[in-house]
Amino acid sequence: MTPSVPQPAQWPDRYGDELFRFALSRVSDTTVAEELVQETFLSALDGLATFRAEASERTWLFVILRRKIIDHYRRQARTKQVSLDEASDGGATEADFFNLETGHWADAQMPVSWLNADAALEQQELHEILGRCQERLPAQQGAVFAMRFVEELSAEEICQELGLTASNYWVLVHRAKLQLRRCLEKHGLGKN
Amino acid sequence: MLRLINCQKATVLLDQRPDRALPWGPRASLWVHLRYCPYCKRYAKQTVLMAEWARAAATARAQAGPALPAAAKQRMRERLAEAGA
Repeated sequence: MTPSVPQPAQWPDRYGDELFRFALSRVSDTTVAEELVQETFLSALDGLATFRAEASERTWLFVILRRKIIDHYRRQARTKQVSLDEASDGGATEADFFNLETGHWADAQMPVSWLNADAALEQQELHEILGRCQERLPAQQGAVFAMRFVEELSAEEICQELGLTASNYWVLVHRAKLQLRRCLEKHGLGKN
Repeated sequence: MLRLINCQKATVLLDQRPDRALPWGPRASLWVHLRYCPYCKRYAKQTVLMAEWARAAATARAQAGPALPAAAKQRMRERLAEAGA
């Protein structure tokens, strides 16, 4: 790779579109995505001394943006901190999915087959439905789900970022998956 | 001794599986449960699919999304100039 010298004045024109698309793919909201990109440029400018000439300027900016996105998830998760023993953070609890006496699936919640899910829905349609379902998750669950399965952080990293115990983390992941599954079925997956 | 588990416990274990190696006991309990419960067997596949789709959807959006609006680009150029770029 050709060693590069950062040229901050040119960042918006050179990398603005790509960084914005990346940010928007994570946060959905245009204004928030713009802010994340702007913060990325300003932080990069502040940290010019940390840029290593052998690295790609583009890669370096993406590393900073990714950090900003994780900070955004953290803020999102902390907007509403509710004990998991209470009525959850606004979302469904295990009682909505399982028979509390037997622990088996409640009648209306039993998973149906998604055998032809890929064929029945266009890829883009599937992605849109999933995106909408993710947005409907309560803030903490949405943040945990995105950090784990979109950003691919480890459980330990997420617990550290969000100040969660391992058991709280498992509850949030499990509830997020249960709700997403139900939402996807409601919106077209698994029609028999 | 092998413990029989219900669907709630089985799905919790399924969602823990990507992050930690389950100890022998829970792993065996889960295996037995999945042999006779078609619903949790479906859930086992679906929970993996949801994770894969979430990643794929974000990647697709990052490739096909709109460009940064010109006004925002201009504002960022100005902010960078003010900050000494």
